Amino acid sequence: MKLSKMKKKNNKVKYILISIISFTVFLIIWYMVTDVFKLVKPISLPSPVKVLESFINKFTVKRPDGSTLQAHVLSSLRIVLTGYIAGSIVGVPLGIFMAWNRKADMFIRPVFDWFRSVPGMGWIPVMILIFGINIASKAAIVFAISFVAILINSYSGIKNTNPVHMWVAQTFGASNKQLLFRVAIPSALPHIFTGLRQGLNQAWASVVAAEMIGSNRGLGYMIQMNRENSRADLIIVGMLSIGLVGTILSFVLQKFEDKYVRGRH
Amino acid sequence: MGQDSIKLEVKNMTKKFGDLHVLDDITFNVKKGEFLCIVGPTGCGKTTFLNCLTHIYETTEGSILLDGEEVDLEKHNIAYILQEYSAYPWLTVQENIQFGLEIKGYPKDEIIKKAEATMKLVGLERFKDYYPNKLSTSMLQRVVIARTFATDPELLLMDEPYGQLDIELRFRLEDELIRIWQETDTTVIFITHNIEEAVYLAERILVLTNKPTTIKEEVLCDLPRPRDVTSPEFIKIRDKVTELIKWW
Amino acid sequence: MATSNNIKKKKTKPAIISEDQITKKQSTLYAFISFAVVVVLWQLAVLFLPNFGNIFPGPYDVVALMIKIVKEPVGRLTLFAHLGWTLKRIFIGYIIGAVIGVITGLAMGTSKLANAIISPVFEILRPIPAIAWVPMAILWFGLGEASKYFIIGFSTFVICALNSIAGARATSEKLKGAARMLGASERQLFSKIILPSSVPQIFAGLQISLSASCSTILAAEMVRSEEGAGWLILRGMNTGNMTLVLVGLIVISVTGLILATVMRAIERKAISWSFRGK
Repeated sequence: MKLSKMKKKNNKVKYILISIISFTVFLIIWYMVTDVFKLVKPISLPSPVKVLESFINKFTVKRPDGSTLQAHVLSSLRIVLTGYIAGSIVGVPLGIFMAWNRKADMFIRPVFDWFRSVPGMGWIPVMILIFGINIASKAAIVFAISFVAILINSYSGIKNTNPVHMWVAQTFGASNKQLLFRVAIPSALPHIFTGLRQGLNQAWASVVAAEMIGSNRGLGYMIQMNRENSRADLIIVGMLSIGLVGTILSFVLQKFEDKYVRGRH
Repeated sequence: MGQDSIKLEVKNMTKKFGDLHVLDDITFNVKKGEFLCIVGPTGCGKTTFLNCLTHIYETTEGSILLDGEEVDLEKHNIAYILQEYSAYPWLTVQENIQFGLEIKGYPKDEIIKKAEATMKLVGLERFKDYYPNKLSTSMLQRVVIARTFATDPELLLMDEPYGQLDIELRFRLEDELIRIWQETDTTVIFITHNIEEAVYLAERILVLTNKPTTIKEEVLCDLPRPRDVTSPEFIKIRDKVTELIKWW
Repeated sequence: MATSNNIKKKKTKPAIISEDQITKKQSTLYAFISFAVVVVLWQLAVLFLPNFGNIFPGPYDVVALMIKIVKEPVGRLTLFAHLGWTLKRIFIGYIIGAVIGVITGLAMGTSKLANAIISPVFEILRPIPAIAWVPMAILWFGLGEASKYFIIGFSTFVICALNSIAGARATSEKLKGAARMLGASERQLFSKIILPSSVPQIFAGLQISLSASCSTILAAEMVRSEEGAGWLILRGMNTGNMTLVLVGLIVISVTGLILATVMRAIERKAISWSFRGK
């Protein structure tokens, strides 16, 4: 028993080492083709050293896109959080209501089915034409995109409540309100969080898209601007930042989920 | 109240889902403290039968009287144990057992007292802070039984609760059920497709027909307890019920 | 004895436990009614609310424009020609991304070694949304079709890889154990057990990424283009023509629905034994 456990642990260490080696090899190849053998032009792929340098400098240097990295990040974050929180506050209760109420289920859902088939990115032109190019239109884009994902999952979460769970509570004499708050919502919570996660991912992507189309700050603007300036190093810095911030946002949401969703496998 | 007073009175219970005629004019009584088993062929609408008894489904026709009053789940103390494991996965064992008491609005200290007593009854004290996903199937069914008995139900409905368990475990839980039933004078309606189980548990057996379901025959089952599944009396009743079911 | 005619007032039950389920016919009817109501309200708003029509054109205008551009070209092409370009871009990018994604995902899900090698880079690339690849794609592949395939391909790759990993890892240990006991080689284990049992999850990835492609195509066609349904939408945005935006959106949405239906049919054929196939 002890031996197999130790073997398992050894295996784990082995695979972590392989991962580290693999990533190092990746960096070395990147370095070789750029700085050492100069196989590609720096304008299409800068060396990893250059990217790291630019990344560090970008915290203090505003050129060439007008803002430091942290200013871009904060600008994007502000928009995504505004739209996303609004989308969750409206989306979760409305999804629950649509699934719970027969009339809403019959009449609102079909209309909603049409809305959800609109591709997420499609909201960008619509909102820009309605609100113009400003913070409001971007927040509205984020709102629409996260709202749809959150609503769908909250709806199907409630819809998937095991009827057996409802029957038990009903025989105990539970009122409709108790059925909703003590059975249906707790049982739908994992689905609701799935929606919140999907909504967050899509919201983050949509901010980047909206900033690429029209903005003067934000990570999307940063990568778009640096393409025009042919600064591939800063594009890569921007892309990595987009990925990193997205990962951090998901991580925070995961912490909430671990706290509120109990008893899952 | 005498031992023979009527607890549940079902008159002309009929249920149709649209064109589908499921229950047809079912009439029977259950005495107070009785253990009644209901057997029937698979797919004869047993679950519908119970859901109608509790008014989870509206009956198309007929009335279901508990102590002479139309069944009302918010007033009457009924409990329901299903074949599927119905422990709430988002609640711990203790919270699951307290659930019914909380719905019924018991005072807080009484909830804890009752929950602890029932946990002891089914031997779950050690697992009170576990979530259902950490428990074995037999434990899960015990949680459900504890949750049910915690509310001192006057009428207990069971829908093939042991259908998915292996034989040994089923025997154990059946004995446990009989013990709790004898200690609590609850009235029990137990649905099963397992004839041996029915004869082992019941004081009386109702045999159902195929859809549209109605009562085919009533079999008395007044063997002394604990029952011996190999005794000639037991086998006689078992064969009789089997014969009745064979007819379709 | 209490009489049984004290009929309870019927409580309205929550939709999810209501016993009379809505039939398919009924639900189609309700869908139609509510759709009609929305269209009528929309048109009425355009007719009677001042200014609404300027910002948001009515269904009549949208349908009229749609019919018009079936014959008359917008930019260089007519509606169906634009759609043709879009479909071509989606298909090529999607197929490349799906093949690489499924293979990568299966490798990572099956072999711990492959996973250890690939995952560092994969984990860095995965959270970067496809749209953020647009500038880099242009630098690498220029303004032509290749960068559009790359953008669609990347988004498909990530989704398919993630689902294939999950599918391969979810293969039950019992099944694997049983096969090993029967003396299956590692290769047999993969082709006879892991692959078939991951198929439902792989199809889920194929389905999701196909829908995602219909959204990503807008990002892809942001790379300079003069044709495509996404381009119609962007052109509408740049010229302040909301009617054209809505036409483009409807075309892409309907295309997406049709593609999803076709995919589901293929899935049903391929895995009739699986629960997802029902």
